[in-house]
Amino acid sequence: MKEDILSDKLLNELEIYGVSRRDFLKYCATTAAILGISELEFTSGIAYALEKPTSGKPAVLWIEGQACAGCTIALTQVSYPPIASIILDKISVRYDHTIMAAAGHLAEKVYEDTVKQGGYILIVEGATPSADDRFHMGGGMPFRKRLEESARNSTAVLAVGACSAYGGIPRACPSKGIGVSEVLNKAKINKPVVNISTCPVHPDHLIGTILYVLVTGKVPELDSKGRPAMYFGEVSMHDNCRRRAHFDAGEFLKDWNDPKQKNWCLLEKGCKGPVSYIDCTVRRWNEGISFCLDCGGLCQACGEPVFYDKVTPLYTAESEISQKILAMREAGLLMKENS
Amino acid sequence: MAKKITIDPITRIEGHLKIEVEIEDGKVKNAWSSGTMARGFEAMLTGKDPRDASYITSRFCGVCYSVHQLASARALDIAFGAKVPWGGNLIRNLVMGAEYIYDHLLHFYQLSALDYIDIMAIANYKGNDKELLAVRDKIVSLVKAKDTYPLTPRYEPDDFTVKDPDIVISAVNHYLKALNMHVKARNMGAIWGGRTPHYQNIVVGGVTSYPDLNQWARFRTMLDEQKKFIEEVYIQDVVAFGTGPLWKLATMGVGGGHYNYLACGDFPLDSEWKKLVFPAGVIVGLDPSNIKVETFDHKKITESVKNSWYKEKKPVHPYDGEQVFDLNKKEAYSFVKAPRYNGKAMEVGPLARMLVAKNPTLIDLVKKGAKPGAVARHAARAIETKLIVDACYEWLDQLLTEMTKPGFKIHDTAHWDPPETGIGAGFHEAPRGALGHWVKIKNKKIENYQAVVPSTWNASPRCENGVRGQYEESLIGVPVPDPENPINVVRVIRSFDPCLACAIHIIDPKTNEIRKFLIE
Repeated sequence: MKEDILSDKLLNELEIYGVSRRDFLKYCATTAAILGISELEFTSGIAYALEKPTSGKPAVLWIEGQACAGCTIALTQVSYPPIASIILDKISVRYDHTIMAAAGHLAEKVYEDTVKQGGYILIVEGATPSADDRFHMGGGMPFRKRLEESARNSTAVLAVGACSAYGGIPRACPSKGIGVSEVLNKAKINKPVVNISTCPVHPDHLIGTILYVLVTGKVPELDSKGRPAMYFGEVSMHDNCRRRAHFDAGEFLKDWNDPKQKNWCLLEKGCKGPVSYIDCTVRRWNEGISFCLDCGGLCQACGEPVFYDKVTPLYTAESEISQKILAMREAGLLMKENS
Repeated sequence: MAKKITIDPITRIEGHLKIEVEIEDGKVKNAWSSGTMARGFEAMLTGKDPRDASYITSRFCGVCYSVHQLASARALDIAFGAKVPWGGNLIRNLVMGAEYIYDHLLHFYQLSALDYIDIMAIANYKGNDKELLAVRDKIVSLVKAKDTYPLTPRYEPDDFTVKDPDIVISAVNHYLKALNMHVKARNMGAIWGGRTPHYQNIVVGGVTSYPDLNQWARFRTMLDEQKKFIEEVYIQDVVAFGTGPLWKLATMGVGGGHYNYLACGDFPLDSEWKKLVFPAGVIVGLDPSNIKVETFDHKKITESVKNSWYKEKKPVHPYDGEQVFDLNKKEAYSFVKAPRYNGKAMEVGPLARMLVAKNPTLIDLVKKGAKPGAVARHAARAIETKLIVDACYEWLDQLLTEMTKPGFKIHDTAHWDPPETGIGAGFHEAPRGALGHWVKIKNKKIENYQAVVPSTWNASPRCENGVRGQYEESLIGVPVPDPENPINVVRVIRSFDPCLACAIHIIDPKTNEIRKFLIE
């Protein structure tokens, strides 16, 4: 009888976590006895508290500042598990202006209610203009204000993509975009921020971090630049590059038309692999099909704080960073035995 | 008495868009379209190495990624004097073909479909198809758990909303399948593009991705799967909806606008660029029974900043455009500029392309009574997706021949270094419409950079002469019986597939003052 007032959903979920129906009811009865309230009243009360606000799924707010929506598209790039199962089964996406059904005041109402309720994971895409708030208004308020108020009541903040992590390309623009950590520091808001940089965010990095937070209830270990250590900070792209043998042999690609040079080192074209501590070379992109270096493109260190103002010009070895890399090469610091 | 309503943000589009409409007697009487975010990309490019432009401008937008990369590379090709080898053009075409397929599927299913179906009708599905029952149970379980985000809240279903449980459940099933199909389409493009969003292989002079036969075979196999889905599911759904439950909306021509259309033309089928998948042309004041197409000449384009947050300047050709922000400008209400062709506001995109091409399938629909508007835009998009798929097969055949010849080339390496001075205009028919990039080079650096993008044409505010932009015009007369539930407004706007980050690569400051509405 008592079980009737508990939804099957809640009980099933508790069982997934190793709590049987019997154990749960026993727990409720004991607690109720201690508190001196009716067992029935208490059981239904707990069930309500656990189920009503979140249905077992953690609430997620996805807000977009000065962005191109490339990171939103990267989110939908996940196939294992299919993105639909994440959005419908694992998390409760209250606000994401690219996918949500609501628009206008309906969308804003959900946003406000969720912020008021608190306890959600905040995902931020895009930079925040620091030159003038009016460079980005939305729903009638500056984006900076939206970021501050939604961060304040969140449990953790994921800054996805180069713009959100460190300002990225907008940092070089007249609007002077800055990253989430900088905005929160200025406003003296102390929340754990995970920088999942690269332009756009790597779908694996994003979904892996979300899964980590869901499973452990904590943010993952971070490297010195605030990025998940499981993906960033360990080995440079240069050290893990499949073109590495050609670097060691002094073979540098000059002509993209020459099949002999196809796999030669791209350093002299402007590749920034030696300063890029990201796992793209081993993980690759698009389910392993390819990535920047495999299509003859260059690594532009898009996951590093130096992107983009310190890595321009992109397609020659003349940028501030490329000069540094060439000096490292001169000093023998890029060779295998030293790296 | 006119009532003003504001929809901010317009969701399920790329970027930040606000629409304000004035409603009288249940219909839209006046409308204002405002882009509300700006970064200032073009201004930032001044003084940079010109080759940066294709990488940077790709980031105008991550939904229609790489369309700017291509338009930019084409402008640079001309400015550098580079001649892209046919092999390089074939690979550019193929990766952009993959982008088209993904983009149009995403738009129809993920961004638009929810406007036309009552998703909760699924609960009444009485059939016994196992796959559909699984979809029903999933949605019902979300409802029972009182957590149907992000599928609700929503505007209330209206008279045009499809409520038949069999149709709705099949559409939602296809919505879920399409998610998987566009992931695969993006992977297909990544074979040569390197990764998505934002390809890495398109540069001035051609591409960097030297193809091999395994990649070719993989692309073709993946294309077969896309073709099957597009022919058997996507096109069937568009036909079933457009000629079925939405036929009334189609014949009413809701969302028509100015009836001026522009296509810059694109996708060469031969190395001489004699035959294009999408021909160029301009239609002024469409007469469906006698379509007259003028020659497109980019010199007739001017941009007005009269109602935009930029320093006042007379309308000029994009070569002479500038990006100086004036966030305090009183009459301004958008970061989007107002491009005009011969002084006229234009619509760009699939509908414009199919009308300019006098596509027989679309013309047939129009003859049967579907007026150019919101529904016709969805039809045109489906029709051209098929054209792109067919073209991809043709390009693959040609690539196979080319890449197995000695001396096969993908890049004009002799013109890799920037010239002392140069000038170039690059055009591309992006999924959302005609796109142009203009670059001036001085001392091997960018002296001026301007882009006029599809959503700038469509989402533009009023110009000097007070002529509304195409979004604004297309909203006039749209039925809004309940101001609390302006579902037709978002249907019309979303039928254009707005992409606001593109439209405002510049800056958008908005004053906090409430704009005064002039009651005309």
